[in-house]
Amino acid sequence: MGVIITIDEMIDRTADLPVIPAVALRIMHEADSNTTSASQIAMLLARDPALASRVLRLANSAYYGLSGQVFGLKEAVVVLGLRCVKNLALVAASYPWLSKPLHGYGLEPKDLWMHSHGTAVAAMLVAQRSGRLRDDEAFTAGLLHDIGKLAMNVWLERKTEALIQLSTLNGWSFVECERTVLGYDHGQVGGRLAERWNLPLSVIDSARYHHEPDERPDPSLVVDAVHLGDYLASVLGFGLGADGLQYALQPNTLVRLGLHPQDIDRIADDLERERRLQAESFEEIVA
Amino acid sequence: MGVAIYDPKSDVSGMIHVMLPAAFPDRPVDQIGKFADTGIPALLMAMEKMGANKRYMRVAIAGGAQVFKFNNTGANNLDIGRRNGEAVIEQLTKAGLRILAKDIGGTHGRTVTFTVPDGKVEVKTLSQGVAELCYLADNRERSAA
Repeated sequence: MGVIITIDEMIDRTADLPVIPAVALRIMHEADSNTTSASQIAMLLARDPALASRVLRLANSAYYGLSGQVFGLKEAVVVLGLRCVKNLALVAASYPWLSKPLHGYGLEPKDLWMHSHGTAVAAMLVAQRSGRLRDDEAFTAGLLHDIGKLAMNVWLERKTEALIQLSTLNGWSFVECERTVLGYDHGQVGGRLAERWNLPLSVIDSARYHHEPDERPDPSLVVDAVHLGDYLASVLGFGLGADGLQYALQPNTLVRLGLHPQDIDRIADDLERERRLQAESFEEIVA
Repeated sequence: MGVAIYDPKSDVSGMIHVMLPAAFPDRPVDQIGKFADTGIPALLMAMEKMGANKRYMRVAIAGGAQVFKFNNTGANNLDIGRRNGEAVIEQLTKAGLRILAKDIGGTHGRTVTFTVPDGKVEVKTLSQGVAELCYLADNRERSAA
């Protein structure tokens, strides 16, 4: 065993990796800058008519209670806020590839979408309860936290059973098993993939450290929120794969976020409702 | 955690998916089956309304997976899967019901299927595929964890 090829070589040799639409990527960065205006975001979106039309339909979905009232892109940005529109663009852009099956992880069609979207909503709710970080940033990072699995999938396909056995026999987390068998885990691969896609730093860090936030040299609250969000989405059963819950929970994340253990049940209650309502409204539009 | 209940005498069955141990006193309950302490009494009441009798009810439960490691002490409250299992068992015991079969804990996700009228309860996991847990109609317990 041990490292056979580097992460970059592995990513280069993986076929069918998704592409983030250029417009969605630009919007992600624009939404983080302090100088963006609603008109700028609307103009950017208009460059990708397919994406723009889905964003407009999402803005008019039952979830926001504005049905049929949002006529233009600029209006959508003004009414919902540019950071909300950014996440709608990201939901529309990522659904096609997050909803594909990943047999290496035992994920059926839509499982990874359900898990990623559940983690995004959970991380957003964690951020809102904490009050120490931006909730839209937590949502974005939560949605993309498992992108490493998209690349790792084909390399794991005939090894999944062995990994589960290794994990059960040794009491190792699934990421420890990935590292032992392949030389790296889906977090490290996801972090590298996010770097190569030029995604924001909080997305890169959340992809890389979401299972081991304490390992990041300088703790990040977004990573902490995604770690807890991932745990909550998993424990409520949203899109579990072969790796199941074979992971460790790092409770230091709660301390850094200023949360108490009793907050977790309340966030889980909100998560079940918010995720269900969003999924009911969004899925027929983005599918 | 899936809770499946069957009364073969009246042929009334019911099932809920419990996600949390207890409802919050300061919050409205939007999905009554979501909490063990509201879901189980509501399910029993609904079944009794349809003619079921607690005396004949048989129960199977499955689910309650949990992360394999909590790195620090004081994290017991975070253990939602284990607490769901305890709360479900407590509610069933309080109602005087016997659990015929259970498959709970561990770190893997489960999908529970309950068919009538034989009361077959099946648990699907990624590692084991579909396994029969029990038949609630005739007390047959195929395999219980």
